Amino acid sequence: MKFWQTRCAGILGMAVPLALATITAAVAADQPPIKIAVIAEESAILGKSITDGARLAVTDINAKGGVNGRMLELVTYDDHSSAADAVRAFQRAVQQDHVSAVVSTFISEVYLALEPWSARLHMPMITAAAASNLITKQVHDDYDKYKYVFEGWLPSPVIAQAVCDSSHDLFVGMLHMKTAAIVSEDADWTTPLDATQAECLPKAGLQVVDHVRFNPDTTDFTPIFNKVEANHPDVLITGMAHVGVQPTVQWHDQHVPMPMGGNSGQATNPTFWKTTNGAADGVITQTGTVPGVALTPRTIPVAEEFIKDSGKFPAFTGFTAYDGVRAFAEAMQRAGSTDPDKVVAEMEKTDMVGTLGQLAFYGRDDTYTHAMRYGPKYVTGVFLQWQDGKQVCVWPRDKCPNPLKFPSFIKLPEQASAK
Amino acid sequence: MLALQILVDGFAISALYGLGAVGFTLMFGVCGVLNLAHGGIMVIAALVGWWVAADYGAGPYGGAAAGVLAGMAGSFVTYYAVIRPIQRSRAIPKVEEEIFILTGTLLWGIMLQVGLNYLFTNNPVSMQPLLPGVLTFAGVRIPWNEVLIAVLCWGVIGLLSLLVNRTRIGKQILAASINPRALTLLGFELGRVYLIVWTIYGVLAGLAGVLLASFLGASADNAGALTASAFTIVILGGLGSVPGSLIAAYIVGYAETITAYLIAPTLRPIPALVILMIVIYLRPQGLLGRR
Amino acid sequence: MGRNIRPSRLLLTVAVLAAGASAPLWLDSYYVGIFTVAYYFGVFAMSWDLLFGFAGEVNFGPTFLIGLGAYGAGLMNNWGLPIPLCLIGGAVVAVVGGIVLAVPALRLRGPYFGLVTLVAVLLLLDFIVIFAAQTGGEIGMMVPDVLSVSTDVNYWYAFGFLVVSAAILFGLSRSSLGLILQATGQDRVEAQALGFNVTKHKIAAFSISALFSGLAGAMLTFYQGTASVDQMVDLSIAVQIIIAVVFGGRRTILGGVLGSIFLVLFDELLRPIGQLNTFVVSAVALLVILFLPDGVLGWVLRPREPR
Repeated sequence: MKFWQTRCAGILGMAVPLALATITAAVAADQPPIKIAVIAEESAILGKSITDGARLAVTDINAKGGVNGRMLELVTYDDHSSAADAVRAFQRAVQQDHVSAVVSTFISEVYLALEPWSARLHMPMITAAAASNLITKQVHDDYDKYKYVFEGWLPSPVIAQAVCDSSHDLFVGMLHMKTAAIVSEDADWTTPLDATQAECLPKAGLQVVDHVRFNPDTTDFTPIFNKVEANHPDVLITGMAHVGVQPTVQWHDQHVPMPMGGNSGQATNPTFWKTTNGAADGVITQTGTVPGVALTPRTIPVAEEFIKDSGKFPAFTGFTAYDGVRAFAEAMQRAGSTDPDKVVAEMEKTDMVGTLGQLAFYGRDDTYTHAMRYGPKYVTGVFLQWQDGKQVCVWPRDKCPNPLKFPSFIKLPEQASAK
Repeated sequence: MLALQILVDGFAISALYGLGAVGFTLMFGVCGVLNLAHGGIMVIAALVGWWVAADYGAGPYGGAAAGVLAGMAGSFVTYYAVIRPIQRSRAIPKVEEEIFILTGTLLWGIMLQVGLNYLFTNNPVSMQPLLPGVLTFAGVRIPWNEVLIAVLCWGVIGLLSLLVNRTRIGKQILAASINPRALTLLGFELGRVYLIVWTIYGVLAGLAGVLLASFLGASADNAGALTASAFTIVILGGLGSVPGSLIAAYIVGYAETITAYLIAPTLRPIPALVILMIVIYLRPQGLLGRR
Repeated sequence: MGRNIRPSRLLLTVAVLAAGASAPLWLDSYYVGIFTVAYYFGVFAMSWDLLFGFAGEVNFGPTFLIGLGAYGAGLMNNWGLPIPLCLIGGAVVAVVGGIVLAVPALRLRGPYFGLVTLVAVLLLLDFIVIFAAQTGGEIGMMVPDVLSVSTDVNYWYAFGFLVVSAAILFGLSRSSLGLILQATGQDRVEAQALGFNVTKHKIAAFSISALFSGLAGAMLTFYQGTASVDQMVDLSIAVQIIIAVVFGGRRTILGGVLGSIFLVLFDELLRPIGQLNTFVVSAVALLVILFLPDGVLGWVLRPREPR
């Protein structure tokens, strides 16, 4: 009798929790998934990384049980680098696919076109890299209408400040340079970038001797390089994202004697060396992070997951998209719902260990409302230099004390010592 | 010296424009076909050339050869899959054949652009220079590659001119461009002539694509702009006139270069457009156009 | 003309109109949005068919007119004008642009007319890109106002616009103006010999085509909230319009509407394959050109006598 009692107790002991677990799981599974939309440019590397980053975040969050017991589901849309396509996709995502949040593009013009729709349709959204300060200006000036809009990267004026800070350390401090030329593509994100750079570069020690803005459609950069060279700058501070391969290749082929620094969005792609056949050697640009640098305890593990998932290290937009999805998920978790107003209120309280730094957003009364917070405690981005086929981190100097190396055709000022 | 730099840079870019435009105008002059997939074929050559050079370690020369072959392949597929069926279709009235060809090649060009975008992404690629290093003289700095490109373009155009004017098959091509009917009456097979022209076209477009990738870099997104550029130059020079296209290519090339250097890089495409508008209004058949 | 209205055709028209007008009530809101765009496209197609099918002029640049209307209206809205004024303004810009293009272009023969219209599109594209600061360039230009936020209201605007445009354009095609245009399209010399001022009539056709194209472009802008080159000006749009008309049946006016609806639906259906949907649509269109050049409506309505 005792034998059977023990057996019964044993079986009950296992069956009851098992049944409870199954019922809970069944209830949770019956709950519809929370849908997150990704609207990005699939044929651009920066865009594709956004989708990959979002997908990885959804996988990781679901592996830990989802949000409020509900699984996340990713819905992807290709916006073909077009504002109109993005708007169509946005409308579809909200009205047909009933998503609860949107992660989107790296192109400012596209994100700006989505903003009014986010306001009209009350849909929380975040950009992985769009930087125009118009994005946050609208949120700041008309908060109640545009509060659903977030910026998952630094706005242009802040990026410019980072450029000036790093130029002070690298170009003035280490290379003893005195003059610079600003060379940017004519796009929404570079207008405030250039304006801020024009102001802060002299304060960092570089006099601005020329300012060139070129058509993003430009294929022949020869006249531009020749013109700029005539003014004898020591360094070219670039603002490029739409172009990158062509100016870099031509800079290299023509042996233009000034180094290029600043921002070159495409140079942050790990495949840039290959697409330029090595012409990228010596190019310096700001980015989120480079392989091997642990900005936070999350950086390297997530990077390794990326490499396992898609075969290579992602563009920096992969990291910002990953963090963006996680921020939304945690906001929904804290709010206990997907109601847009509640989610927005919780998003503003984000204080999360991201992959590129501590993630938090500026508040209603700050200048860049809902943009990513900048600073040594938060995110500063890093500056990389391409050296011998690798992306080498060169700034901030405390995290990246690596020396600078330039190709032989570069002429550095007399008393240079690249240490 | 700025003037010399402008002269040299303008020469190289015009030569490249010229090579692309010559193929386009030849195709119209002889076969009566306005191939709006022209840019697509150039880009196939550019991308395949880069891919073979990079992924297969064939180096710039191997890649260039592969690129030209790809251009020829693209040309043949265009002819056999798009142009010939339209030309031989009994359902399409003869008077409308031209617009069907235009529409058909436009569609085909779009298919090429989207397909290449999918396979290679729209990130531009470039081929290693065929000749590395720069040449410096009289205050002008020019990459050796640019010199080579200009020489190659003119070399090929010279060869083409020899082919057309001195060889038997060349004379048939010339005759076909003037009066195809008469040629058939004389017993020559028009089909063979067309095939040869498509081959020549494939080589010209392929080479132009490969050189473009080497000089400036190229991506799938350039296909439409390349067609438009060849198109503008050919209309300016006169449809069907090879010398006209060359002259127009130089006018456009220099207008752009001078604007980029002396006025502003952003306004670079404007002079070509203005010249085109004037020509359309005053002399729509172009500078040396026949009809 | 009264003899040709058969009761079965009348019934069919009424049924179609009723189905169309009531669609938001029984159709999924996603598809309501799809059809809204398809209706604007239908107006593009009908305008093109008026010019091609009747005046015999192959216009490769319908998007020149559409773009002028769309961007004209968009810019005016950005300068603060209310939507109705912008719509009128956009249409006016398109008509003026159309006449400026038509007057010299109509003097040309053969492929040159078509090519000049193609060049007009390229010029507009370059213009928009160069002055990107004002026009938003390749990425697109936002407009502050939209027709409506409601999917259903937007649908009815589009549907109403389509029906009115179709009625006018179809009526024109059947009117004496239409007959003259057909005559000049088929045999210019004879028409002139009969005393018709061919050029004047072609310019009239061009202006009407421009009016409707420009107006439709402007309305599309205020539906989407953006004016953009790849939805309104790009050559691929011009090709799609031509495909829509060829598929639906040239010289039928209404065939264009059929072709547009099919094209837009087909495009959406292929959305899951991502980028390649353009590829497939173009491929199918190419096949249609090769094998069914008279289009669906043309084939259905083909004369029943033995050839």
